[in-house]
Amino acid sequence: MKPMSKEDANKKLLKAIAAEQLNELREILTGLEREELQQLNTLIKDPEAFAEEIRKLLPLSIRKMVDAGDLTMESLLPLIEEAIRESIRKNPEKLADILFPIMMPAIRKAVTSDIKQMLDSLNNTLEHNFSFKRLGWRMQALFSGRKYSEVVLSHAYIYQVKQVFLIHKTTGLLLAQAADEQQSNVANADMVSSMLSAIKDFVQDSFSNKKENTLEEINVGRTRILLEQGPYAILASVVEGNVPKAYHDLLKETIEGIHISFYRELEHFGGDVTPFEEETHLLKQCLQKEQKPQKKRKPVFAIFLLLIIMALLVFGIYLGVDKHFRYNHLLNDLRNTPGVVVTRSDNSLFGKMTFYGLRDPLSPKPSSFLKKNRVKPKTAQFNFKPYISVDSPLVLQRAQQLLKPPPTIKMRFQNGVLFVSGTADTTWMKTVYEKYPMIVGVEKLSVSASLEKKNGKVIDNILAIEKHVFHFKYNVFELDSTQAKEFDKLIKEVKNVLNFSFKQDSVPVIVVNSFTSYAGNVEGNKYIAQHRAEQFINRMIHHGIPQEVLVPKVRFIENFNHQFENRSVSFQVKYVKPESL
Amino acid sequence: MIKKKVCMLGSFAVGKTSLVQRFVNSIFSEKYHTTIGVKIDQKRIQIDNKDVNLMLWDIHGEDEFQKVKPAYIMGSSGYFIVIDGTRRNSMETGLELQKMVVKTIGKVPFIILINKADLKKQWEITDEDIQQLKTQGTEVMLTSAKTGDAVEEAFIQLTRQMLK
Repeated sequence: MKPMSKEDANKKLLKAIAAEQLNELREILTGLEREELQQLNTLIKDPEAFAEEIRKLLPLSIRKMVDAGDLTMESLLPLIEEAIRESIRKNPEKLADILFPIMMPAIRKAVTSDIKQMLDSLNNTLEHNFSFKRLGWRMQALFSGRKYSEVVLSHAYIYQVKQVFLIHKTTGLLLAQAADEQQSNVANADMVSSMLSAIKDFVQDSFSNKKENTLEEINVGRTRILLEQGPYAILASVVEGNVPKAYHDLLKETIEGIHISFYRELEHFGGDVTPFEEETHLLKQCLQKEQKPQKKRKPVFAIFLLLIIMALLVFGIYLGVDKHFRYNHLLNDLRNTPGVVVTRSDNSLFGKMTFYGLRDPLSPKPSSFLKKNRVKPKTAQFNFKPYISVDSPLVLQRAQQLLKPPPTIKMRFQNGVLFVSGTADTTWMKTVYEKYPMIVGVEKLSVSASLEKKNGKVIDNILAIEKHVFHFKYNVFELDSTQAKEFDKLIKEVKNVLNFSFKQDSVPVIVVNSFTSYAGNVEGNKYIAQHRAEQFINRMIHHGIPQEVLVPKVRFIENFNHQFENRSVSFQVKYVKPESL
Repeated sequence: MIKKKVCMLGSFAVGKTSLVQRFVNSIFSEKYHTTIGVKIDQKRIQIDNKDVNLMLWDIHGEDEFQKVKPAYIMGSSGYFIVIDGTRRNSMETGLELQKMVVKTIGKVPFIILINKADLKKQWEITDEDIQQLKTQGTEVMLTSAKTGDAVEEAFIQLTRQMLK
C-alpha cells in the first residue's frame, strides 16, 4: 500500500471538516438530522414505500380538500364521466359485469311492474269473457279470496324442479348442483352441464350475432331446462310442467345472489369447485315444486250416473203424476157421461188404464174421451157391458130415434115424462101415441095443449076405430043388432076422422081387415072373408063414406096367438098421399 | 374437487373420439363414426393426491366443410391437438387449429398427439417432422388408441401441466 502524502492528508482533513460543517449547516437549515434525511431520501426513491405513505395521507387530504372547497363534485364529475366512458369504450362487458348485481334487480322491478299491469289487463279481459270453465274458476276465486287472474293462472302452474345446476359460463364446468331427493333418475350433472354449455354456445354461435341474445330455455318432451345467465355463471333448472313467473324471478335472484356471494371465485375460477359445493343452499331453494293438491277425484262418472238416474226418476215421477192426472180426468169424464157407469177402474204405473162397467149404446164411446185427456189408445182399455140407461138425455135420444120428430117438434124428458110441443101432422102424432110406451124410461106422455087441441080428437077417433072388432059365426055374414049399433058408432068415428083428415096433406084410408084361416077350404075361407069385408065397405058407402078411402083386405091368421080372432073384421086407419088414392 | 375442461382438436378421422373412448372406457372400435358437433365425456383421475375431474370435449374434426367453433374452446384449461400419423395433411390442420386456439383463449397447456402409432409403417409424418415440432417447445406424444399406447400417459401429462 502506497503511503498518503501530506498534501493529500490535508485535503482529506479539509474535506472532512467541510462535510462536518455542511452537516451542521444542513441541520441548521432543515432541522433534520442526517439519519432522518437519509430516511426521506430512501422513501422518495422507493415508489412502493412512498405510495404507501401517500395512501395513508390521501383520504384525509381529500376529505380536507372537499371540506375546504378545493375539491368539488362538479370538478370531479367530468373526470368520472370520462373514466366511465373510456371504460365502456374499451370493454363494455366489464362495467356491465360490475353493474349486474345492481341493474338486474332494478330491471326485474320494472319488468315486474309491467307484468303486474299486464296481469291486471288480463284480469279485465278474463272478467269480461264467459265460459263454464271460467265460471267455475270465478266461483273458486270467490270462495278462496284469491284474485280471479291468479286462479286462472294457477291452473297452469303445476311443476316440479328435478335438478338445478350452477355452471361456469366460460368453461361449461359444473360448479354445484342440487337435486330433488325424491327423484331417482337424476342425470349426470357434470355431463349435462357441459352439454348444456355446448348447446348454448352452439345456438348462440349459430343463430345470434348479438351477445345479449342468449338461450333461455330448452324443451325435451315434457322436461324443460330453464337457463338463467349471469356474467360468470349460468343457473340451469330442469323442470317438468309449467313454472310460474315467480319461479323465473327466483332463478334471477339466485344467480344474482351467487354472483354477489362468489364474485371473486367466479371471476378467477381455475377449476376448484369446492367453495360452490359447500354452499348449495341457494341452489336448493330453487328445488321447488307445486303439485296439484291431491284432490279427491270427483266421482264424475258416478255423479253423472246419479244425475241421469235422478233425471230419469224425476221424469218417471212426472210421467206417473201426469198419467195419474190424465187417468183421473178420463175417469171423471166417463163418470159424468150419461149412459156410462164405471164400476171399477185401475191405473197401474207401468200398465194400461183399465175401466170396467156398463154403457148404454147410445152414450158416447169411451175412446172418444182419449184425445181430450191426452191418453194414447194403446194405454187404455175399456171393458163395458151394454145396458139401457134411463138418464134423461139418453131417454130423450132414444125417443128421438124412435119417434123421428119433424123439425117443428120439440121434445124434452123430465122425471119420466116425455114432453112434446110444436106442430106436427096427425100421422106423426098417431105414431107418438102408439110408440111412446115402448121407450124405456118414458112413463107418461105430455103433449102440449095446442098440439092436443089440433089432433087429439082425430087421434081418439082413430084409436076408437081401430078398437072395433066384429066377430062372426061360421058362414054368417050379417051383423046382429049389437054389432049394428057398434057399426053406427064406427061410422061416426070414421066421419070424424075423414072430416079432419081431408084438411091435412095426407088422406086417411080405412083398411077393412077381414080375418080368416087356412083351416078347411082356403079358397072358400078367402071368399067368405072377402065377402065380409065388402059387406062392411058397402055399408060404409051407404052411410056416405067415400069409396076411395075404403080398402078391403083379407088376412089369414097363421098362429093361434094372433090378437084377432078367426072370422072377425077390424079396422085400421092409415094416412097416404092423396095422389096415391 | 378440481375440474378441468379439456378439448380434443384435430382434423377429421384422426382418432380423437377413439382416444377419449380408450381413456374413459378402455375400449376401441374399428368402426368409424364421425362426430357431429361435440361429444362430452368425463374421467376422474388422481394426480399428486388431488382428485381431478376432466371434462373431455370431443369436438368434431375440422375439414373444409366444417370449422371448429371458437365457442367450444372457450374456457379450456388444456387441449390435445391430435394428428393422424398416416396423413400428413392432418398435421397441417392440427397446427392451424393450435394457432386458432391460442388466438381464441391464449396460451394454455397442450400436447400434440400423433395417433395411430400401431400403423407406424404407414406413417407419412417423419421423425424429422416430430423433431421439428419438439424444437419449437411443443410437447409431442405418439399414441395408439387401438393399443392404448401412451394414451393414459398423455392425459395424465396434460392434467399435470394444467394443475401447475
